[in-house]
Amino acid sequence: MADSSAAEPTGPTPSTVGSDENATQIQPIRMPTIEEIRAQEVWNNCAVRAVTSGVMGGGLGLMMGLFLGALDNPITNDTMTARQQFVFTAKQMGQRSWNSCKTFAVMGLVFSAAECIVEKARAKHDTTNTAIAGCVTGGSMSARGGPKAACIGCAGFATFSVLIEKFFDRHT
Amino acid sequence: MASPSPYPPGVTKEQAISMAQMEMEYRVELFNKLAQTCFHKCVDKKYKEAELNMGENSCIDRCVSKYWQVNGMVGQLLSAGKPPM
Repeated sequence: MADSSAAEPTGPTPSTVGSDENATQIQPIRMPTIEEIRAQEVWNNCAVRAVTSGVMGGGLGLMMGLFLGALDNPITNDTMTARQQFVFTAKQMGQRSWNSCKTFAVMGLVFSAAECIVEKARAKHDTTNTAIAGCVTGGSMSARGGPKAACIGCAGFATFSVLIEKFFDRHT
Repeated sequence: MASPSPYPPGVTKEQAISMAQMEMEYRVELFNKLAQTCFHKCVDKKYKEAELNMGENSCIDRCVSKYWQVNGMVGQLLSAGKPPM
């Protein structure tokens, strides 16, 4: 995270005159400038957060799709030349990574939007926000399989996101 | 008088200065109390990061708004001269 409160010495440094040898240099309080406040306000917006998270999720999905597609066995079809096989494999890899990209982008978008909205409404920052957002994401993604699948998806994704959050929190 | 007095009638310059000083002290006290109250109420003491996160931001917004409303309401009630219930 960017360190916005850089301690720069403002004001004249006090010279140590004979009797004040233990005088410490007290920095004056630096109120945030209006640009810093506006920058923070931009990042606090739920839509900006959701879109950023969606884009990052899409990138991640693309990478993962390409990587997993490259691990697949190449199909050996005798009716096509090597160049045609290459083109076909490339198209299939691209299709799969595009699907994966869409899935991950939607997942990131929904999760980030849900977490942002819940946290703003509760005005608290703890893991309950992550659990609720995970439940919403998992439930909405597996809602096509019926209510039971939605419940299982909700519980599973909520557990997964809480674990990931706890894992990342331990290293800060 | 050559120039109109800038102070309201019946108020000397010293009285105006002391009133302004009291007002200034009152405002400083209000700011300090407000910041301290909302900080203690909204910010978790386990400082995990240096930036305010979103929950704390919205908590502080609400806290300041409520404090200001309460302050205005109490000031009005006191200045209206109503006897305490």
